[in-house]
Amino acid sequence: MTYTDATKPVNAVSRRDRKPSRALRLRDFPGVGPISIFALIFLYVPIIITTIYAFNDGSSALVWKGFSFRWFGEVAQNANLMSSVWVSLQIAIVATVVATVFSILFALSVERLRRQGSAIATAILTAPLVIPEIVLAVATLGFIRMIGLQPGMFALILAHTSFCIPFALMPIRARLKGLGNTYFEAATDLGATNLQVFRRITLPLLVPGIISGAILAFVISLDDFIISNFLSAAGATPLPVFLFSLIRRGASPAVNVVATMLLVLAIVVTTITFLQSQRRSNKHA
Amino acid sequence: MSVQAPERAQDPASQTTPATAAKPNRLRTPRRPGQLGWLASTPAIIIGLLFTVGPLIIIVLFSFMSRPPQGGGVVYDFTLDPYIGFLFQSDFVGNTTFDPRYLQVFGDSLWQALVTTVICLLLSFPLALWMATRSTKLQNFLVLIVTIPFWTNLLVRTYAWMLILNDNGIINNASSALGFGKMELLYTPFASQLGLIYTFLPFMVLPIYASLAGFDFRLAEAAYDLGARKWAVIRRIILPIATPGIISGVLLVFMPAFGSYVQPVLLGGGKVLLIGNLIASQFGDARNWPFGAALSVIILVMLMIALMAIAFYSRKSGRKVEISL
Repeated sequence: MTYTDATKPVNAVSRRDRKPSRALRLRDFPGVGPISIFALIFLYVPIIITTIYAFNDGSSALVWKGFSFRWFGEVAQNANLMSSVWVSLQIAIVATVVATVFSILFALSVERLRRQGSAIATAILTAPLVIPEIVLAVATLGFIRMIGLQPGMFALILAHTSFCIPFALMPIRARLKGLGNTYFEAATDLGATNLQVFRRITLPLLVPGIISGAILAFVISLDDFIISNFLSAAGATPLPVFLFSLIRRGASPAVNVVATMLLVLAIVVTTITFLQSQRRSNKHA
Repeated sequence: MSVQAPERAQDPASQTTPATAAKPNRLRTPRRPGQLGWLASTPAIIIGLLFTVGPLIIIVLFSFMSRPPQGGGVVYDFTLDPYIGFLFQSDFVGNTTFDPRYLQVFGDSLWQALVTTVICLLLSFPLALWMATRSTKLQNFLVLIVTIPFWTNLLVRTYAWMLILNDNGIINNASSALGFGKMELLYTPFASQLGLIYTFLPFMVLPIYASLAGFDFRLAEAAYDLGARKWAVIRRIILPIATPGIISGVLLVFMPAFGSYVQPVLLGGGKVLLIGNLIASQFGDARNWPFGAALSVIILVMLMIALMAIAFYSRKSGRKVEISL
């Protein structure tokens, strides 16, 4: 108690000293503030407009007729659309589970490969982040034809698993790095076997990273259009591929509704991962 | 993905591992408690080899093969025709003439990607700097705000501009209400360009912010106290700190923008042909897989050059460039 009381005023003074000058000097650098505000508005205006149009009553996607929930109902009754949602969910669930499990295994063992090997393995797994998706898409199409597969559910799941891995891996590796070695060493010093350390220390401590990784992988899979477009077949049409054909056929208000639902998904997911990371950093502080 | 100069010494942490690593193994780092055997990394690597490396090898092979008479697929018959076809056109008599059509597509793609990168950079650097100089709480909130569009479906983000730019959209309604008449905005190169900038902006903001976020801005403060002007502080202190983030952001914006497909198709209409939709059409309606493969290889070569340049930079400057989001 006395300790905090003694330090508090000092902190308060120094903070009060520092903050305004630092903020002011950098904030009044010409343009930084206004450009930032402009960039944020630019990011959000299109999203907001799409959301508003989802509640349009008219039968054209583009002409505003008044507020209604009408198109939400029509979307729910569109059998083709709902079946594409189901296809997407199936792919995303399988790809997420497999990618997350493989990422956990990889994160915990990659350092045990030879140095060169671990660098190469990491490069291979993260390559889908930088390769333009259209290239990976046509390449995957050629590859699955080559090994005798046909576009369809199985090909979709395999390809999705592959590009979900880097996204599942990033938060897991970051979490592992942040933990350091002390917990594991302490457990070993106290006599835990390697399996016990893995089950009772490593896995529970990794949970926040695993959850973030799985969520990212799930969204990436659910959102993917370009690769899915080349690997889809009749009966295996993921939602984004269906959405694309809807948009090209001349936008129906259903597109606005689906777009808004995907947007809500992005908001929910990002907020969950954000709150997770907040809790994580609070715990560490 | 990280591109970094090779480290000379093993990291010190592995040298202080306890008794579990009694048997020194010069090739593998000793097992730390809680780690798994190297075998555990194989499932992920196999997936990566099969569905990332495998397809890339196939696409390179395809680019040297012939097109079957009816199109679609390839015939295993070595030829350089797909690459020659990129620059030259041969008629039925067998005369080969220079054909700038595809070079034009290549140039257009390069130009749109370049403009996208520059404008994203001009918007992102101030935004990232502004974010990094806020209070911690506000910073976290701003990161969330920038990440939401990032995780929003690509089609949704592109479609949003169709709503705004079309003949009955907000801009045209406003302009005709003000008496300026309607402009043709949708299905133009401008729309495609705007869509690209919009889609890739977060890809630039996040890495630059990440490189600035940990920076102690009291150092900039110290520079002011020592008499530096604002421009000098930006140029000599903040810019060097942000450089790895800028490089990473440029790569993450330029390459996908160069190979973009959705924006030119939906926003450019039939009027914008970029290399991405050209590739797609070769594997679709045009049914010329080898040519599509050759175009993909051209993109991959550009990517390799960029990665090598980044590796060179990071070796020379000693700064690690982390290409991740």
